[in-house]
Amino acid sequence: MVEELENILKDATLAISNACTIDELDKLRLTFLGKKGIVTIIAAKMKDLGKEEKPAAGKALNKTRTAINDSLEVKVLNIQEEEDRRVGKNIDVTLPGASLPRVGRHPISQMLSEAVNALRRMGFSLASGPEIETEWHCFDALNTPADHPARNESDTFYFTDGRLLRTHTSTVQIRTMQNSEPPVRIISPGAAYRRDEIDSTHLSQFNQLEGLYVDKNVSLADLKGALEYLLHSIFGKKTQIRFRPHFFPFTEPSFEIDILLQAQGKEPKWIEVAGCGMVDPNVFIEVNKSRGDNNYSPDKVSGFAFGLGLERLAMIRWGISDIRLLIENDTRFLQQFA
Amino acid sequence: MKVSLDWLGEHIDLTSYSPEDLDSLLTFAGIEVENIITIPDKVIVAEIKTIEPHANADKLSVCLVNDGNKDLRQIVCGAKNFKIGDKVPLALPGAELGNGFTIKQSKLRGIESHGMLCSQSELGGEDDQGLWILPSESKIGAPLSTIHPTIFDLEITPNRPDCLSHLGIARELSALSERSLKDNPDYTFSKTPQRIAKESEINNLAQKKCSFYTTRIIRNVHVTESPDWLKTKIESIGLRSINNIVDITNFVMMEMGQPLHAFDYNALKGGICVRQAKEGEKINALDGFNYDLSTDDLVIADETKAIAIAGIMGGADTGITGKSQDVLLESAHFLSSSIRKSSRKLGLSTDSSYRFERGVDPGQIIGSSELATKLILELAGGKAEDKTVVFGTSEDSLTSISLDSDKCRAVIGHDIKDQEMFGILENLRLKKIDENDNISNWEIPSYRRDLTRPADLHEEIARVYGIDNIPSRQSGWFSKASEADNLFDFIETTANELSSIGFYETRTIKLTSKLKIDDCVCTDNSDAIVIKNPLSDDLTHMRSGLIASLIEVAERNLHQGAEELRLFETGTVFPGKETSEEAQHLAILISGPKQNSWINPSPKPASFFTLKGILERIIDKPIELTLTDSNQKNAAFIANIGIENKTIGHAAQIIPSRARQIDARHPVFVAEINLDLVFLQRSKQVIFKELPKYPAIRRDIAMELPISLPNVEIEKIFRAIDSSLLESFKLFDLFYDETGNRMDKNKKSIAYSLTYRNHERTLKSAEVDTEHEKILNELKTKLPIEFR
Repeated sequence: MVEELENILKDATLAISNACTIDELDKLRLTFLGKKGIVTIIAAKMKDLGKEEKPAAGKALNKTRTAINDSLEVKVLNIQEEEDRRVGKNIDVTLPGASLPRVGRHPISQMLSEAVNALRRMGFSLASGPEIETEWHCFDALNTPADHPARNESDTFYFTDGRLLRTHTSTVQIRTMQNSEPPVRIISPGAAYRRDEIDSTHLSQFNQLEGLYVDKNVSLADLKGALEYLLHSIFGKKTQIRFRPHFFPFTEPSFEIDILLQAQGKEPKWIEVAGCGMVDPNVFIEVNKSRGDNNYSPDKVSGFAFGLGLERLAMIRWGISDIRLLIENDTRFLQQFA
Repeated sequence: MKVSLDWLGEHIDLTSYSPEDLDSLLTFAGIEVENIITIPDKVIVAEIKTIEPHANADKLSVCLVNDGNKDLRQIVCGAKNFKIGDKVPLALPGAELGNGFTIKQSKLRGIESHGMLCSQSELGGEDDQGLWILPSESKIGAPLSTIHPTIFDLEITPNRPDCLSHLGIARELSALSERSLKDNPDYTFSKTPQRIAKESEINNLAQKKCSFYTTRIIRNVHVTESPDWLKTKIESIGLRSINNIVDITNFVMMEMGQPLHAFDYNALKGGICVRQAKEGEKINALDGFNYDLSTDDLVIADETKAIAIAGIMGGADTGITGKSQDVLLESAHFLSSSIRKSSRKLGLSTDSSYRFERGVDPGQIIGSSELATKLILELAGGKAEDKTVVFGTSEDSLTSISLDSDKCRAVIGHDIKDQEMFGILENLRLKKIDENDNISNWEIPSYRRDLTRPADLHEEIARVYGIDNIPSRQSGWFSKASEADNLFDFIETTANELSSIGFYETRTIKLTSKLKIDDCVCTDNSDAIVIKNPLSDDLTHMRSGLIASLIEVAERNLHQGAEELRLFETGTVFPGKETSEEAQHLAILISGPKQNSWINPSPKPASFFTLKGILERIIDKPIELTLTDSNQKNAAFIANIGIENKTIGHAAQIIPSRARQIDARHPVFVAEINLDLVFLQRSKQVIFKELPKYPAIRRDIAMELPISLPNVEIEKIFRAIDSSLLESFKLFDLFYDETGNRMDKNKKSIAYSLTYRNHERTLKSAEVDTEHEKILNELKTKLPIEFR
């Protein structure tokens, strides 16, 4: 038996030294030491041996087991070391990554989110209102004369029940003042509609961001400060901004805001980005009438309002040439804003 | 409106101002300068002498032009709209045409060109249709700038009709620059006496729409071409010269802002009648077109018919021609809203209607008539009747407004001194009536009809003081998050999550059509709201769902070659019936495999369960899907999406025939959910659970069951089982074979892995065996299951 074990050890040592992989070694471990392995089978024969043979055989068995185990372990270590040395030797790091394409939000949403963030830093809260509106909210309450061209069916979408698609988000100013007490400081993003043919600069439905601040002693200086802060947040601290007197029925004085656009290789150009002004007293008077109180008396409160066109801001910000790209949603376009 | 700098110079000294200075002066006063047309140096008048085709270029011709020197000059030109004898602008070598473009002597396709013939747009104007053909009497060789003054194209806001004239702009510039207006000798005429009209002269049947109507008759005039100065003046601001009488009425309109009309007095049958048009009445107007009038339109008529659309355009039959001898000059006031309505309805907008619909100065009706009469007598001879015939009053009673200086300072937010405010108002020609403490009262000139309230005075002060001179104030304040804030943030989070897992956000317009609405398979569209006055046939309804838009976007992207479609949109929908109903929805469209990469060259196309997985990820409560029998033409099947037994939306597969129509190469799956509802259902708080201290034991179940049995039935049993040890369960394999080759085609094989754990101590195998057996029994008794 001892001799048999010696032969087995020889075989095992040879096989182990010839093995090249951990797998092979695992198999050899099973072949020799596993439940049905060669050494295990021989060990089972121990009980058949005579008393005097047993100690020597036992010793030889242990020695064989230990020796096989040891050389397996040594060999495993050798192979691992060798494998470890190979790791990274042949990698081609210039192969492309397993792509996880980046997808950004729609540019209008990105623009909106930036503007909302800046306005919230100033302390504005969001407000909302319906897109299908009454003529009173859209025009009468906003000091628009009864025969104003904007009310025409050629300019505004109507429904048979007399309601209309709001032509601006300023309707939310009115709804907010109807439903809450001064002071109010709200912004309201949303869709507005004009009955314009769709072309490279017009959409029949576009997105605005409305703002309103009404309190005691709100002044033109506050309006200027808030909008400068907002536009500097969006377009960068160094952007030049100018307020140009203009006319809107619902604010007085009214201004349009231009920023100086410096496109590469072109003369700098003033370009309109927003409309704003001090809330017209007639708007407060209409609100009071509908509330049945005098909490928004023009003698007690004043306020400013503004509106931004998000499509316009996005087009300026990213140099987008055609407004229709913003509603076509070609992924090759959207991909660029990731 | 175009104004000429030279013309303005007759009213106010602007010599020290450059066009750029005036641009900024006007811009900051609220008058937008759309364009400044200045003729550059070295651009002269030249006459075309010969035109020959270019030997080497079909589109070019070679011209010899007379530039005033003895030798003709050779120019190569690309335009086609001119003929021999035309006078055109010639830019000589060295001329700078803006944007750094300098004319050089050069060879064009081998032929020398000694300058360039120019279009109007090349010289800063608008017209780019070929060469600018100059008036035939233009002096050859003269610098074009001497005959064509600098022109400002201005955008006047609707509240400032007083600025729709040279005098008006001059007044405004005078207030802004603090320079006084010149005394214009043309305005020093003696006031003609007035006489109330007899009914046979002016019969005003529409006094509400025409409060003041005046006529002046000038006999024996000589209708000819206008003299050069008049022609040049009105042509420089874009009007066409007709004859001396018509040109004078146009000149006075551009000078004073009051539209006038000259009738051929001898063509009138009887007196003037101001009335509503009759039903079915027509007029052949001066533009050569026939207009169908309705009873809303105001007309000027004689005894037989309408001879003018009041305030908009005169009739062809009574216009001034070379044969006219006697002129009836109309100067009147018409109601803005009436003119605006007729102008819009007839699709006819003229310089006259433009001014009337904004409101003209009633104080200038007589003055304008006087100026026109004076010019007619000077330029066309004849004799004016010694009285102006008038009907009504010019309602030029003056109004006054009080100014509270403290209030004004508060609104502006800056300490402007009283004297500074008063100076501004005085420069604007308001008169201070009285002053008491910080209240002063101001008389308003008749042409400033926009000034009616104290707020209007605050505006004037802020505008002229200059917002640049008002320091800005920055302040913040505390504010509560509103429900709108929370909803906005919720939608933002959801959208950001979708885009972070590779979904493109689309933004489409909310107008749609009946045809497209069929694609909204996840919403009930039967009551989609109809627009009363749609712009086109494909934008007739308000969208009741978002899927139709996503399918349109999918189609566009499939056509541009995209294979992987991962799209979503959030936004307002209009569920229908009541126009007052609106909801915020989210829709998702998914189709095709994720873009392949070399490491995974053939990824699997998206399945319904890809979509469901995404829904499970973005909705933070467990969702239950159940098939519905809802009947949508374009859906293969529709599943109801519920949270806690409340429907929040639907998921569906687009029917393959429709998917093929948009050229989809893979099945298209869609879902649409109501975000308002999900927002209300959102989980409020996460509560921390201690991490497990003892190991878990896993047991698998493999079972065979009828293919029609919904999986949820199995999970219901797992959930219902009363077991403190069962921690979780997870489906890990599903197999079925519709062909029946490898397995009974009515059966499916499902494998679940169950995890058991005791949180107090280490589990014993035997305990788990008992528990597991209990669950197997439960499954066996409740469902037609065989274990494998």
